Amino acid sequence: MTKVSRAVVALLVLSLATPGSAAPQRIVSLNLCADELVLRLAAPGTVKSVTWLARDPALSNVSAIAQTVPVHRGLAEEIVPLAPDLVLAGAYTTRTTVVLLRRLGIPVFELGVPKSIDEALKQITTVSAALGTQTRGAQLVADIATRLAALPVSTIASQQPIAAVYQPNGFTIGEGSLVNDLLRRAGLRNLAVERRIDNYGELPLESLLLAEPDLLIMNGEAERGRALAYEVLHHPALTRRYSDARVVSIPSAWWSCAGPYLVDAVQRLHQIARQLPAPERPQR
Amino acid sequence: MSTNALPVLAAANTAPMRPALLLSVLGLVLMLLFVVSLGVGRAPLELAATIAQWMRGDSTLATLILIELRLPRTLLAALVGVSLGLAGAALQGLLRNPLAEPGIIGVSACAALGAVIAFYGGLSAMAPLALPLAGIAGALLAVVLLYALAGRESSTLTLILAGVAINAFAGAATALVLNIAPNPFAVTEIVFWMMGSVADRSMNHIQIAAPLMIVGWALLGTSGRALDALTLGEDTAASLGVRLATLRLMLVLGTALAVGSGVAVTGAVGFVGLVAPHLLRPLVGYQPSRLLIASALAGGVLVLAADVAIRLVTIGPELKLGVVTALIGAPFFLVLVMRLRRETI
Repeated sequence: MTKVSRAVVALLVLSLATPGSAAPQRIVSLNLCADELVLRLAAPGTVKSVTWLARDPALSNVSAIAQTVPVHRGLAEEIVPLAPDLVLAGAYTTRTTVVLLRRLGIPVFELGVPKSIDEALKQITTVSAALGTQTRGAQLVADIATRLAALPVSTIASQQPIAAVYQPNGFTIGEGSLVNDLLRRAGLRNLAVERRIDNYGELPLESLLLAEPDLLIMNGEAERGRALAYEVLHHPALTRRYSDARVVSIPSAWWSCAGPYLVDAVQRLHQIARQLPAPERPQR
Repeated sequence: MSTNALPVLAAANTAPMRPALLLSVLGLVLMLLFVVSLGVGRAPLELAATIAQWMRGDSTLATLILIELRLPRTLLAALVGVSLGLAGAALQGLLRNPLAEPGIIGVSACAALGAVIAFYGGLSAMAPLALPLAGIAGALLAVVLLYALAGRESSTLTLILAGVAINAFAGAATALVLNIAPNPFAVTEIVFWMMGSVADRSMNHIQIAAPLMIVGWALLGTSGRALDALTLGEDTAASLGVRLATLRLMLVLGTALAVGSGVAVTGAVGFVGLVAPHLLRPLVGYQPSRLLIASALAGGVLVLAADVAIRLVTIGPELKLGVVTALIGAPFFLVLVMRLRRETI
């Protein structure tokens, strides 16, 4: 929690003198990941608005709930009239709006980007504290932790299959990301880590092919319209080399934000990793 | 490689080279670059061994990279380069204007607009041939418009200004279409359409673009004799038996086919059609018929060399082709403008 919002919460608590009623009653979220957290954690009826992206089933895990809440497009002029008593924003998105809201004295809680499941769980706890719904937060954290603990432990590192995340425009995800932590927990080695790619980086198609990962991980959501960005994913050189058995599709919403779907992603990866056919090594 | 060849060509500046010699030098450089281009990439590849494997019919990872990635890329760079070099020389003859070039006068930008509409609108997903055809339609529109505006006896200035207007319009319309496109990546892809690239293209792109492109080459390539006559003026050409209407139609259609189908699969690559013919014009004795083939080969050399250079610079994401050709071509253009100014004073 930032100092400012902590101070605001403390002030509210003091002024009302009854700790329980300090929970914010008019919550607005400015970020897709914050949308999921407030819609899962906040007390019913207290969420006044979430982003328009939250209603998109291709991007959001809570699109059904988001249908019942008004949406906005992240402009300050949409947020201010809602008179929020707590705004949740991403640390890197809608910067101008955040600055403006702060200037108007509206408490803003900034959400970082979790780099691991542990960080994601911590985020759920701090957000639920800010929302005044600690019990819900603790419940969600416990659910995720139990389901994770039930997954089989990964095998010896040298026997682990190598996976590569391949995204539109030929980008991959490496060290220092939530996705990488999920791969590790599923018992997969990440090609991007071995290539020393941090976070989000370009992996040329030639390099990918030559590295021969055992598994390709692609976005699971349907491609929307046409784009050149997708062409590299459908390049004959790639489709010829990777049959469906060696490609796993994960909806990107599953592993973008803190929430229960992180476990679903680990589960799916783990399952596929175990069923992998023997690696087709090339004759050389 | 081409830079090595340039001083040699420049040394022969005053006297025209023997046509056979010039064409063989250019052809040799083109072939050499073709091989170099097959050997250069992010993945280390033993070219000779891989080619040997491929000849034996072995299917390995290396042959996959060579045949499915490097070969289409190399072929496409050469094809588009040849198209642009040829179209530049032909347009300069048709418009009798030394600064005419598909990129500068807006033909490429309009071709890109056509391709963008077909691609993001989903038309090319249903019928792949729609992509080059839409590019050709865009290019055709631009050439016809330019000829109507600045085709006959008009100044260089008129042509260039018309080009500025057409470029601005096509660029804005392209941005508009990309903004409306449902895909979130579309907006960022304007760079591809305006600057051009052959990275990660496949044989499918060659299959759809090459046949139409080659029809365009044939139309442009056979217009040489008539273009020679045209340098003497329209009336003289007509009196020499040149059917002007047919010639115009051939050049307009040929340019649209060659440039439009190329831009539809690689985006617009600028200045190639300017640099290639101007470097060679003195060497062919200022004779359009001899310039056409030479300029086509030089265009291929230029784009291939640019694409090899791009892959040798490995810092950050790959550069677009148009960045390299514009870095060479734009100063070249400026020099030409200044020389023209001196001549008119």
